[in-house]
Amino acid sequence: MPLYELGIIVDPEVPPEDEAAALDRLEAIITDADGTIVEKDARGRRQLAYPIKKKNYGVYHFWTFEVGGDVLEKLNFELRTNDVVMRSLILNLDRELKRKRKLDKKRDERAAKKAAKRAAAAEADAAADAS
Amino acid sequence: MGHHKKRFRRRAKICRFTVDKIHYIDYKDIELLREFTPTNGKILPRRVTGTRPIYQHKLTRAIKRARFMALLPYVGQ
Repeated sequence: MPLYELGIIVDPEVPPEDEAAALDRLEAIITDADGTIVEKDARGRRQLAYPIKKKNYGVYHFWTFEVGGDVLEKLNFELRTNDVVMRSLILNLDRELKRKRKLDKKRDERAAKKAAKRAAAAEADAAADAS
Repeated sequence: MGHHKKRFRRRAKICRFTVDKIHYIDYKDIELLREFTPTNGKILPRRVTGTRPIYQHKLTRAIKRARFMALLPYVGQ
């Protein structure tokens, strides 16, 4: 299942229990479809760079989760119809991180090679000293 | 002849993403994105910042995403 990232801005004026209920519903959509939530990051209240729906503040939540791609339609529908959610963005992290993973792998391999070379050199030096 | 009396030494332009080995530009990392958006909110061109083309593409995307999520302004002061 692909890894996704979801960012939501919640209306700051709704009572906390409504916010929690809305988030629970979103979580239920993901978990009902055999998805798993990997990380939850609540950034809290933050000033918006420009007003949305005449509001200057927003409560930010960022989740990463794994689900089958067909659930996204349902999730998007819920995000759009829910009044508590002011704005949302879903990214396919697998696609986003493809290049990063490749480059990181390359870097790690290079580092490992370097370390191995250094170790071999040290060993050779030690052998030379002993003789 | 006397046009260029003052010689400016141009600062070497370096790509920040290549140097710091930033392989993925996250739209949530506003501190980083701010360096490439002056207060007027525009995206600085790579001829000014020296960013490599691949990273400039990714940077633009990240900035546009950040704008959508109201983390960065579309128009500044």
